[in-house]
Amino acid sequence: MTLANRQGTGAVVPVERNDQRFRAGQGTAAGLSIVFRKFRKALFGKPNSDRSDTEGQFNVQYPEERLSLPEAYRNMPILLFDDATGHELCTSCFQCERVCPPQVIHITQAKDPATGKPVPSAAEFIIEYDTCMSCGYCAEVCPFDAIKMDHDYELSTSNHPELDVNYNRLLRPVSYYETIAPTLWNDVRESAMKKLQNNIKRRPGAIGVDHGQKVGAKAAPAAVARPADPAGAGASAVVPAAKRAPVAAIGKTMSEEKLAKLQSIRADNQAKRGGAGAPVDSAHAVEAAVGVQPDTAQVAAPDAATPGSVAPGATGPVAAVGTSMSEEKRAKLEAIRAAKRAQGGE
Amino acid sequence: MNYIVVVIFLILSAITLVSGVMVVTVKNIIHSALWLIASFIGVAALYLLMEAEFLAVVQILVYAGAVSILVLFAIMLTRHVTGEGTRMLYERWWVALVVALVLFGAVITPTIWQQGANWDAAATAAQASITATGEGSPAGTAVASTINIGESFMREYLLPFEIASVLLLMALIGAIAIAFEERTGRRRVLTLAEEYALKQRGIVEPRDAEGAVVPSIEAEQAL
Amino acid sequence: MVETFQQTFGAPLWLAVVLASGLKVTLILVGGSLGMMFLTWYERRAIAYMQDRRGPNRVGPQGSLQPIAEAIKTMTKEDTTPLEADRVVHFLAPVVMLAATVLTFAIIPWGNLFPSDLSVGVLFFVAIGGLHTLGMLMAGWGSNNKFALLGGMRGVAQMVSYEIPQVMAVIPIVLMTGTMSMQRIVESQSGFGGLGWNVFTPVGFFAFALFFVASLAEGERTPFDIPEADSEIVAGYMTEYTGMKFAVFYLANYMTNLAICFITASIFLGGGNGPGVNELGGFLGGFLSLIYFFIKALFLFFIMVLIRATVPRLRVDQLMGFAWKFLLPLVLVNILSSALWVAIIRWDQQAQIFTQWFGAPGTADAPNFVRLGVAVAVTIMINLGALVMVMGLNNRASQARMHTTDEELALGL
Repeated sequence: MTLANRQGTGAVVPVERNDQRFRAGQGTAAGLSIVFRKFRKALFGKPNSDRSDTEGQFNVQYPEERLSLPEAYRNMPILLFDDATGHELCTSCFQCERVCPPQVIHITQAKDPATGKPVPSAAEFIIEYDTCMSCGYCAEVCPFDAIKMDHDYELSTSNHPELDVNYNRLLRPVSYYETIAPTLWNDVRESAMKKLQNNIKRRPGAIGVDHGQKVGAKAAPAAVARPADPAGAGASAVVPAAKRAPVAAIGKTMSEEKLAKLQSIRADNQAKRGGAGAPVDSAHAVEAAVGVQPDTAQVAAPDAATPGSVAPGATGPVAAVGTSMSEEKRAKLEAIRAAKRAQGGE
Repeated sequence: MNYIVVVIFLILSAITLVSGVMVVTVKNIIHSALWLIASFIGVAALYLLMEAEFLAVVQILVYAGAVSILVLFAIMLTRHVTGEGTRMLYERWWVALVVALVLFGAVITPTIWQQGANWDAAATAAQASITATGEGSPAGTAVASTINIGESFMREYLLPFEIASVLLLMALIGAIAIAFEERTGRRRVLTLAEEYALKQRGIVEPRDAEGAVVPSIEAEQAL
Repeated sequence: MVETFQQTFGAPLWLAVVLASGLKVTLILVGGSLGMMFLTWYERRAIAYMQDRRGPNRVGPQGSLQPIAEAIKTMTKEDTTPLEADRVVHFLAPVVMLAATVLTFAIIPWGNLFPSDLSVGVLFFVAIGGLHTLGMLMAGWGSNNKFALLGGMRGVAQMVSYEIPQVMAVIPIVLMTGTMSMQRIVESQSGFGGLGWNVFTPVGFFAFALFFVASLAEGERTPFDIPEADSEIVAGYMTEYTGMKFAVFYLANYMTNLAICFITASIFLGGGNGPGVNELGGFLGGFLSLIYFFIKALFLFFIMVLIRATVPRLRVDQLMGFAWKFLLPLVLVNILSSALWVAIIRWDQQAQIFTQWFGAPGTADAPNFVRLGVAVAVTIMINLGALVMVMGLNNRASQARMHTTDEELALGL
């Protein structure tokens, strides 16, 4: 009775080895020939595109070549606005903020400057990209199809505060989303547009259109990843810094829930002050950045570092740049990106 | 040219001697073995200086490359490598000195006795033959070339050569015999599959980590 | 070269010798280091394609400047020594390793160019290669690290075992050519229009295979890389080395591999010999021989890479068994058949019977084909017979182990 004779009983299966009568390195020779064939195919053969073959070059040369992403690919959330009217789809219903597992979404509701009543539009919308876990719950839960998941995955940066992305840099035109996920958008387009039309009726003045024009970073979707626009980076740096600073000062002795409450209260206060202090076209974002209480500003100053301290001065010119950045330019940018993507796909 | 040879010879001898002295004076055994290797290499370099290339290379191959490596290997398997606290000199050190001197004298005296008279003559002859042919190892002088060594092994010194071979063979067989005897008493380590098979057949009782006997599946089912 | 310095520049003899040697040493050192850099790139590219990847292709054209980037990286890294290490031994280990490796380059014939013609060149290569072991052991012991010591110990056991088949695999060639000088071994293979390589004789072919396999172990190439087995003992004897010292180990390692390729190409694949070298002659012929030489060496290195990409690492007992139970008997039989080869082809006076049967021995230009044929047949028979027998014996032993009865196993037999 040998070991090899008894198989299939229990978990351990003895493997039969060395049972050939004569071995003259046939196994090694066969292995060498297989490896050499792979070498030949990879060096001289065509790159393997459909992945059904087991041989050939599998590598995608990343910066030059890219795999085409599936429509439902999700990386980081973005917000949409209508191309035709310029109105944002977001109504600040707080569904996404509520559902967000890592709690990185922070919304401030817009107020009618005349009456002080809430308007179905967001005054400020911040997502902390560094803590976002790309679960996509926000996009799923959004009843207005305002928040969607972007395909841009080249977000690495050496400037950490830049990853707290504010409303201006979150906004993308609907046409952009159509290019990355046409069928998905096609399914929801009608209902989303219908809801948007209803909401537009309830938005007095420039509320709901103005955000994109305030700081201007929205014009370049790529600016999310590139700190090319110093003012954009500065604005994004200062807002969360001002928001976080008081919390950081007090928060050592506080629980998470209390912190969250405090944050929401402070956000409300800021929104109120912003709504009251800015009569018509003033920037809510800038308001949030600059118009904080003196004590928080003091705490914020060391925390926000250089870009933050420069921000108040820098926002002015940026506003001008933002308005001059037209839809055409954005379209051009999109065309270039699409062309690149097409090249990469080949 | 001659002066350069002398200078090189002095340097090499100094290296060899200093390493030799270090071998016996250093307390750390590993360092001692490393100094021994340095000494061996110095000797090999001296051979090279004498144009005995084969001897030099064999010196490195056998002594520096194999013997001392095995010595080092053996030392590393022992304890107290650093040798701290060991005494270098014992009471009867002078006995060892006398024995060493006598042995050294026994080696050096015949050489001087034989060569002493015509030392200079031999040197001038060798020099003359070198300058005559223009390069080293002229055919006439007794430089130990590979062919000469081989021939003397097979003709003049055949008997000592064979005796040494038999001696080495005996050592080899003896080592194998000792190792084999020791090994037969030891239990072979089983592979997992073998162990499992044995447990299944009940030849070896399966035991858990504490060493308690684990009842087999059949026994459990019977209960 | 010495004469050139003396005659052209009027230098005295000692100065000419110093200058010539210095020039040679510089050339060898630069060539060796550049060769090592090229080899790292070559190996990574080749093995990448074997694994359906592309390998380093970003730094410089086709990634050819990658080794330079890595050299800069290693040079700028911090150089640390463990606190409890034997500092001197720890420091000297890479030095010994590199010195042993660089010394082997002294006898490598670069095509038809010979840095130094040592009369015992082949033996010198093996002997100095043995000092490699010393560096390994010093590194392993001096690091005061268990993984390093394990790696050093494994390395020594491996090297000492594989040195024996390596030396013995060259003996047939020494017997056939009657010299140990690399220069004359290379020259002896220039017959048959530059194709009289040793590897084309049965004895030479077996010797080539055995030598190459044993050399793989000497150079710690993959099936035999247990001294630095990454998945078992971190990095073996190199575990505690950082920065440039680590790079020196790598340099020594790859230069050893390069030297092995060069030596194998010289001894068995005719060195710089090839069709057209003798016909061209002069400078062009030398250039052609250099090209032939490099192509052969790179081919050998490609085989090394291929083996690395194919064969997994051996266990320690498999490694030892392979050296002592498989390579050594075959090498010994190969020495016997090479003696027969020499006797059948060359002996005239000593054995009249060969002359009676097969005619007078031929010369290098006009070989006696009857004798050649008989020699080929006899040696092939002996070697193949030995191969079958040794494999059968090894097979039977392992089968016996596989088929021991359970009662025997339980008794621990």
